[in-house]
Amino acid sequence: MDIETVKERAGPREFNPADDLPEEYRKAATRMIEFHANSEIMGAYLERPFIRQAPSIDRKLAFSAKVQDEIGHGQLLYRAAETLGIKTREEMLDDLANGDGKFLNCFHYPMDSWEETPMIAFFVDGAAMRRQATLRRTSWEPYAHAMDKVCFEEGFHVKHGEDILATLMSGSRAEQRRTQEAFEEWWPRIIQFFGPTDDKSTHHDFAADVGLKQMTNDELRQAFLDMYVPKARNYGLELPDYPRVHQNDDGRWVVEEDDLDWDEFFTVARNNYEPGIGQIDGRARAQEAVEWVRDAIESDATPQSGKAPQAAD
Amino acid sequence: MTQIWEVFRQEEKGGYHTHCGNVHAPDREMAKQFAAVQHGRRKPTNSIWVVPKDEVGEIDGDDVSFGGTTDKGYRWTTAYNLQTRQAEEVEESDAEQQDAEQRRGEA
Repeated sequence: MDIETVKERAGPREFNPADDLPEEYRKAATRMIEFHANSEIMGAYLERPFIRQAPSIDRKLAFSAKVQDEIGHGQLLYRAAETLGIKTREEMLDDLANGDGKFLNCFHYPMDSWEETPMIAFFVDGAAMRRQATLRRTSWEPYAHAMDKVCFEEGFHVKHGEDILATLMSGSRAEQRRTQEAFEEWWPRIIQFFGPTDDKSTHHDFAADVGLKQMTNDELRQAFLDMYVPKARNYGLELPDYPRVHQNDDGRWVVEEDDLDWDEFFTVARNNYEPGIGQIDGRARAQEAVEWVRDAIESDATPQSGKAPQAAD
Repeated sequence: MTQIWEVFRQEEKGGYHTHCGNVHAPDREMAKQFAAVQHGRRKPTNSIWVVPKDEVGEIDGDDVSFGGTTDKGYRWTTAYNLQTRQAEEVEESDAEQQDAEQRRGEA
């Protein structure tokens, strides 16, 4: 199939592994899905410490279920990317470990306190879910199928995140103050989740033409702001002075994009942001530390006695 | 030597291939033809997969407790009663989970 045919046919779930697709399409889809898969993994590692740091048994259980889900989403997505025939799952995981694999800006920033958790678990996950819902209509069928399962599960993540925020914002004054501080620190990064405006976006045109992307960065950011700015305010969070955000006469929220630090964004995007390098290296060490598990699984050795192995339920 | 091939039919483009029966056939090519005739003629069909029965692994409720043996309510959207308006995509996930939870309960 040539690229013009791909553009003509491009529609929801249009292409599958049985189609003979041009390399340009397969590379663009691989880049997009690999980025998404890497982000699931890096997000899970960012939240993992909070299984231990959670303030109650309920939160601990929910965080452990959530981290498990995110790692699962990463695996689903590596499979959807692998079927494109450009990169293997091993290559993608190795690239993530050696700093070549790209992933979402928000997951380059370390997270230290409990008050920061809803910034990821509510706002970033809410933003991600907005985007993922549109990707159920992407043109690469295995990607769309992965999104069906991801979106099914993700509602729990977002509501759990909102529940943490609701608890913190009805807690002690000190808790509310610390949550506000976390919000001010994370808000600009959250806005940048959707990337630069469409005229600065590098990959959008082609991805949209071949049906991989279903909505532009601007449309997604707008939908996110309209839903989540009122939510933040209802919980008593105040938007920081910068970036300047105002409401148009039609009720829609608009951000002054030039108020955002795009130099930092692109440094982050290129994996050159120092704290982000720490996150990448931390995950690389974790991957290395469990190499013996992979070796044991791949070796022919079978247990000699005892109960048959069973997955955790 | 003839063997059994499990048949999976996809009704429309972009949908899922779901199991719909099996056929006897001596090889993959014949299995595809028989499957097309037996399973692709009347019901809407966009694509069919055939898989040798011996290659299918199965695990059932006697082998494992699907969904676990303890209360894992915290994994469901329904555990979080927020009383706030939710984004459309969160509502959708919520509805899908409620449906799955109900059908699990009935099963």
